[in-house]
Amino acid sequence: MAGENGALRQGGGTLDANVARHLLVTMWRIRAFEERLEPLKRSSTVHGLTHLSIGQEAVAAGVCTQLGNDEIVYSNHRAHGHALAKGVDMGRLLAELMGRADGCCRGLGGSMHVVDVAHGFFGATGVVGGNLPFAVGAAFASRLRGDSAVVVVFFGDGAAQAGIFAESVNLASLWQVPVVFVCENNGFAEFTPRSAHTRVERVSDLAAPFHVTAATVDGNDVVEVHRAFGEVLASASAGKGPFLLECLTHRRSGHYVGDPGGYRVASDDESWRDKDPIGRLVRRGATEGWFGEDAARAIEAAARDEVEAAVAFASASPFPDLTLPADLTYAR
Amino acid sequence: MAHVIPYIAAIQEAIREEMERDERVLYFGQNMATSPDDPFLKQFGPARVRVTPISETAEIGMATGAAMAGFRPVVELYMAEFLLVAADQVVNEGSRFHFMSKGAVTVPMVLVAGYGFTYGWAGQHTGSIYGMFMGVPGLRVAMPSTPADAKGLMTTAIRDDNPVLFFHHYLLALTEGEVPDGEYAVPFGVADVKRSGSDVTVVATGNTVHSALAAAETLAERGVSAEVIDPRTIAPLDVDTILGSVARTGHLVVVDQATRHASAAAVIAAEVAQKGFSSLQAPISLVTALDSSIAYAEPVESFVLPDEHKIVAAVGETLGLAPLPG
Amino acid sequence: MATGYPTDDGALEAPAPERLVWMYTQMYRIREFEERVKSTFTAHPGVIRGHTHLADGAEGSIVGSIAALAPGDQILTSYRCHGYPIALGTDTKAMMAEIYGRSTGLCGGLGGSMHLFDPARGFLGGSGIVAQHLPHAAGAAWAAQIRGAGQAVVCFFGDGASKQGAFHESLNIASLWKLPVVYVMENNHYQASTRSDQEDANAAAGEPLAVKATAYSMVGITVDGTDPVAVHATVAAALARARAGEGPTLVESLVYRLSAHGNLIAPPGVPLHYPEHEAVAIFGNQAEYEAALRGDPVPRFRHRLVTDGVLDALDADALEATVREEIDEAERFALESPLPAPDSGLAYVYA
Ligand SMILES: Cc1ncc(C[n+]2csc(CCOP(=O)(O)OP(=O)(O)O)c2C)c(N)n1
Ligand SMILES: Cc1ncc(C[n+]2csc(CCOP(=O)(O)OP(=O)(O)O)c2C)c(N)n1
Ligand SMILES: [Mg+2]
Ligand SMILES: [Mg+2]
Repeated sequence: MAGENGALRQGGGTLDANVARHLLVTMWRIRAFEERLEPLKRSSTVHGLTHLSIGQEAVAAGVCTQLGNDEIVYSNHRAHGHALAKGVDMGRLLAELMGRADGCCRGLGGSMHVVDVAHGFFGATGVVGGNLPFAVGAAFASRLRGDSAVVVVFFGDGAAQAGIFAESVNLASLWQVPVVFVCENNGFAEFTPRSAHTRVERVSDLAAPFHVTAATVDGNDVVEVHRAFGEVLASASAGKGPFLLECLTHRRSGHYVGDPGGYRVASDDESWRDKDPIGRLVRRGATEGWFGEDAARAIEAAARDEVEAAVAFASASPFPDLTLPADLTYAR
Repeated sequence: MAHVIPYIAAIQEAIREEMERDERVLYFGQNMATSPDDPFLKQFGPARVRVTPISETAEIGMATGAAMAGFRPVVELYMAEFLLVAADQVVNEGSRFHFMSKGAVTVPMVLVAGYGFTYGWAGQHTGSIYGMFMGVPGLRVAMPSTPADAKGLMTTAIRDDNPVLFFHHYLLALTEGEVPDGEYAVPFGVADVKRSGSDVTVVATGNTVHSALAAAETLAERGVSAEVIDPRTIAPLDVDTILGSVARTGHLVVVDQATRHASAAAVIAAEVAQKGFSSLQAPISLVTALDSSIAYAEPVESFVLPDEHKIVAAVGETLGLAPLPG
Repeated sequence: MATGYPTDDGALEAPAPERLVWMYTQMYRIREFEERVKSTFTAHPGVIRGHTHLADGAEGSIVGSIAALAPGDQILTSYRCHGYPIALGTDTKAMMAEIYGRSTGLCGGLGGSMHLFDPARGFLGGSGIVAQHLPHAAGAAWAAQIRGAGQAVVCFFGDGASKQGAFHESLNIASLWKLPVVYVMENNHYQASTRSDQEDANAAAGEPLAVKATAYSMVGITVDGTDPVAVHATVAAALARARAGEGPTLVESLVYRLSAHGNLIAPPGVPLHYPEHEAVAIFGNQAEYEAALRGDPVPRFRHRLVTDGVLDALDADALEATVREEIDEAERFALESPLPAPDSGLAYVYA
């Protein structure tokens, strides 16, 4: 399924049914995977700090499905959606989260450190904002090679207040490299609302003073994310410098699995339920004639089946060899 | 064939030769290559040689990204302390990626930083901070004491597939020495015996290698034969060469410009205490900086630093000799 | 010569004639002091060690800002820090002795040129690491906010410092918490030997750097930093806003540093001196540098006061002579002072 990525790049115009369908498939795969992750984490089958992106799937899907394997993505701590949408195999992703030898990093990385070079997924990072300069560096490398392959970096609204954001955006602008900064603005950094982090509501307003073209879109509307990112991707590929795309979204789960969530107003969550990106695409699909409700249900069912197969695969995988850490600390 | 050049020029020579040999090598940092007359800029062009803003975090982070994307960046940081504003990038990002990705990515970058400028640069620009990094898995730490080692270690640093911290000593910058012509690499993790001796092993790094050699000269006049060993890289650390020497001399003095508990000397002493205990005929002696910041005024600055006289005194004490006037 | 209290109770009116004369006096004192620091490298080789940075060309900005402070306000600076304490009334003898590394120095010779401190006069110190004092200033302003006594903080830094992450983090918090702080960026268009347009996206686009304030919902203003009266008015207004709880301001003060970034950097054995300005030495731009010299704010302000009838030319000469005597005395005092005892630092490692 993942192999279709890149081919789905679509400049402007209305969405065709194929692309719409792939977006729904991608979002359902992420949703089903993460919903299944919750009990696995609670039973300690998956261990470590696990951040879910339930409610935010439209961003990962709208962005990553348009990228080929040679277009690098850097992710952050909330990485599963980005990884799956970028083509990382679900079984190997789950095995990684369960610390197994068949994991994409043989169980050494875990949820916040997933890497899959073959799919251009250069990795998640656990340090907020730590990934931003990597993307600028990788984009600088693209320009040096002369292929101008676009590099995409995902970051949260919280990361925008870190000094590394300003340093990276200044350099990206000054050196005009093909990087797209994709902000998933979910209004919270951990348990703290954006209003307690900054007086600047829109992350796109932070980029403007650096002469970086920036836009804010409804990040829960996958059609809109897909369209907006498609435009940005085309411009960045054409060497028009860095861009920032802010996607307004909402995480429906806690900051991490186990987060008691006392800091949020229940009515807010209620109102976001109607704006759930999957529900919206299903409704839109029916009106546009992209797929009927039955087809949508079948997509969900297939995603859930794939997740169960991934659970079986990962559970059967052994734990990694204990000599591995010593072998891998340095490159040889 | 060899030629005589200053230590700092030897570093530049290695970078230049590696850039000629491998077009993936990039070189950037603050306050370099700002004019078209810059020799690196002229030779390699503005794509591979660049001036950056004062943004250490982004500079090192970008180097990490470019390294993962297939290049081999060399970042010029000038003073070692400037690394500290980007501590996350140095110890908690690129150094861990090879491990966490089970080897899928490598981060071949070199961070070039000068240290130990104990010449009136006062509290914030004179630190000897390498000890903080020698225990970071995934990082390599080189610290040459001669022009030849400077060139050879830089060549190896650029070719190494891991992040390397290359610490050069500011006081050695203009010290001249013979440097081999052309391609020259000094392997990491191989200590160099700078002077052979039989009575006491003196391990020293960077500028203190020269204090130790001067002390050995003084000691020789008094009939004491000191062996001076320079580990050259402290990660990896060549413990075997030191143990072999101590097995012959039975005495160990470790010299370090860092403060005692943050020094490489403390680690070297621990290794020998554990693995070479039966060879030791006397307690190991550490000659380090006192646990103090470095003062601006000269007498206060030199008071806290190790020097030739302190090394001579420590050797005398270790060997149980009557106190020798330095 | 540190006459009278340096501050004016936060008054917003244009400075009175005596105040203008006071301002000129301070500018001249700073210039004379730093000229002496510079000439020490040749007159007394080896007496000044390490790295010193001069503020010649920025005297109007320094004095205009300091003149806007009220009693109890505090300042923090970069390593280019001689001018501020001089205007605040710190004894120039103790300052020169510090730069000469003597036991009678402001910090007993432990700090040197980049690390002057005089908290009794509100000077919380100079940091040698670019931009790392910006968060300190936000912290001091937070303390002032908690104390609630109407105090404010002014933080001085360079254009290059605005590319440090610490700038972004500090200005965001200062704006968010409406801290009583004024960030004065002395934009001298160079960070060491790099021109701003080589390292700054705004400068490269030909914009004033004050636009950076918009990323923090903060007021950003650009002012001619060679005009002490204009700087005074701008900083006084920013301080008034800070005290009124309206939050911080970014003031971009345009200056030109008339000396090189700092003295030569060299290991032992190489005599230290002040090299040529980077505009000439690196960029071959003699015209730019000469224009800056023609705009030298110190003689210009004197000329203006004399022309406006605020200061009599003979009085100006007399005032300058007195300042020169003060600086002669500072130099003599510092040269005659003993070096500190070798172990004198150890007592200060821990409080
Ligand atoms: C440098 C750093 N500081 C703090 C943390 C702890 N932390 C983990 S996630 C997070 C919140 C990040 O918020 P945001 O960037 O908005 O992303 P979101 O979690 O909302 O997707 C924080 C503070 C960290 N991982 N790294
Ligand atoms: C973190 C850090 N990086 C680099 C340096 C070296 N350095 C000292 S002064 C300076 C230039 C700063 O320029 P600017 O902020 O414009 O101030 P100016 O010197 O022009 O007053 C640099 C890069 C440092 N001291 N600290
Ligand atoms: Mg968030
Ligand atoms: Mg400047």
